[in-house]
Amino acid sequence: MSSKFETQLLLSRPYLTRKQLLKLQSNTITDRRTYNQKKIAIYKFLSDICIQLKFPRRTLETAVYFYQRYYVFNAFETELCYTVATSCLLLSCKQVETIKKANEICSVSLRLRSAGKVTPDIIDNFKKRVLQIELRILEACAFDYRVNNSVHIDEYVVKMGRELKLDYQTCHLAWVIAYDALKLETLLIVPQHTIALAVLKTAHELLHSRESWPKFRYSAFETDEYSVSQAYFDILNFFINSFSICDLRENLPAGVPPVSIDTFIELKKNAGHEFGLKEASDDAIEADAYLTTPRDFSIRERRYVLSPKLVADEAQQKNFNNHR
Amino acid sequence: MSQVEYTKERKVGEGTYAVVYLGTKQSSGRKIAVKEIKTSEFKDGLDMSAIREVKYLQEIQHENVIELIDIFLAYDNLNLVLEFLPSDLEKVIKDRSILFTPADIKSWMLMTLRGVHHCHRNFILHRDLKPNNLLLSPEGIIKVADFGLARTFPSAQEILTSNVVTRWYRAPELLFGAKHYTSAVDIWSAGVIFAELMLRIPYLPGQNDVDQIEVTFRALGTPTDADWPDVSFFSAYNKLQIYPPPSREELRRRFIAASENALSFLCGMLTMNPQKRWNAVECLESDYFKEAPAPSDPFSIKIS
Repeated sequence: MSSKFETQLLLSRPYLTRKQLLKLQSNTITDRRTYNQKKIAIYKFLSDICIQLKFPRRTLETAVYFYQRYYVFNAFETELCYTVATSCLLLSCKQVETIKKANEICSVSLRLRSAGKVTPDIIDNFKKRVLQIELRILEACAFDYRVNNSVHIDEYVVKMGRELKLDYQTCHLAWVIAYDALKLETLLIVPQHTIALAVLKTAHELLHSRESWPKFRYSAFETDEYSVSQAYFDILNFFINSFSICDLRENLPAGVPPVSIDTFIELKKNAGHEFGLKEASDDAIEADAYLTTPRDFSIRERRYVLSPKLVADEAQQKNFNNHR
Repeated sequence: MSQVEYTKERKVGEGTYAVVYLGTKQSSGRKIAVKEIKTSEFKDGLDMSAIREVKYLQEIQHENVIELIDIFLAYDNLNLVLEFLPSDLEKVIKDRSILFTPADIKSWMLMTLRGVHHCHRNFILHRDLKPNNLLLSPEGIIKVADFGLARTFPSAQEILTSNVVTRWYRAPELLFGAKHYTSAVDIWSAGVIFAELMLRIPYLPGQNDVDQIEVTFRALGTPTDADWPDVSFFSAYNKLQIYPPPSREELRRRFIAASENALSFLCGMLTMNPQKRWNAVECLESDYFKEAPAPSDPFSIKIS
């Protein structure tokens, strides 16, 4: 393919459905189990760096989005994932304006992983590798800065919680649940404000009756029922399937009754039929070249655009030129 | 697609983090500017200015803000495709062969403030307004450019750097090293640009950061707690020479061609206290824009 094409035009798709993600990951992740195990380790590792360097939650959130998005389009290799994660964090700091020197981030990253002495030479070599990945991460995101720009889950938990007149304890609990929610692929599926609404709903149901959840139109929060439901069920399924690795258990806010797998099974039972974003048919997915063709980074000019109109205009122009 | 979409034909400029080329978009034949970001030369990787430029230009689409057309990677270099704008206000001010009228100045200020207002209503601070960053299209339209120092409005507790804005256009709160400031810093810069357009020389040309404080307060008076509560709490305040603010008559003598409304407009933008300084809406609704002469039609202004 690469020898034929000198230029490629890619329209950004910042969010993908679960099926679309699986299709793309089938090109990049050979061992799903290892990938998932590593992802949890990487999440802990990134959290530790963020704690050491006193980064806010949004820095971690953006780094996790970058990390997962990177492996949607690049082959997953266990040897490289800590370097990729460090690069994601460096880029995330730039993205959310929590600037730290690359040296400092690399040094903490190395110290957290190795027992040996971290010399300036080791840091320099590591930094070179980290910096090489930066652009590739941005390519995986199609340079789409609309995501991870000003909407972050923790901030929207507070804003929406206040708007919905939810009590302090509910918002606090939602904030803790949101930390666990970052471990999910949901970040790649629906926008952050939708996840914020889903964690608020989960927190509310853990503390109050399901019926007392305020009535409002999802469109008032620039989202829809399917997206919120997608995130809500993702969260419930995580606690049901992976309760042992959740952080909620050990970090329940004061006054919140203890939770267990059964608590979440009960919530899911009461939630009724599980639904989320509408998935395309298998045929449609197979016919979508964006999902089925692995990215070719050897193409000379790789263009990334956000506007479908630009793509349509250009296609029209090409047709016009070809017919002339 | 079998051939590259963008060509780089001529190098037209070079900055700290990028080289700018004049080029063509092949499918449409449109002239464009390609900003090639130097990625490998920075010790911290991709430069913040490049990230900010992309981030904010993607967000903003307005007639008076430069358009980011496309982004592409070629040979592992990041390239930003921007609309081609052949001139800027600095060139126009410096070129003594170009004659412009108060109506032309009004037109440029109107377009600049519309662009700035659009940034502010999208919660973006530009933080580097100066004549050099106000580009002119072939049709004479002003476009606010260079978002390398821009950022979103901070939340209440967020600490900002005061080391922003090119020195001559820096607001007093930045000169004092404020860690919290607002969109008023951009309005101050617009005020200094307005003065420069009327004088055709830089209005507050400080030699260095310390001199900038001296030059600014000598021209416009040292702020006091009376008109800017708690200004004396800034650590740099105690070392200041206290100058009285200029009288209306002194301003009239300095800006001979300015009408009373033009002077009020200038004073509104150059108010020391950022909370009392006019915002973009107040500037745009100023009587200066309502009185004669009407702003020139941008296309009719001869700039070359």
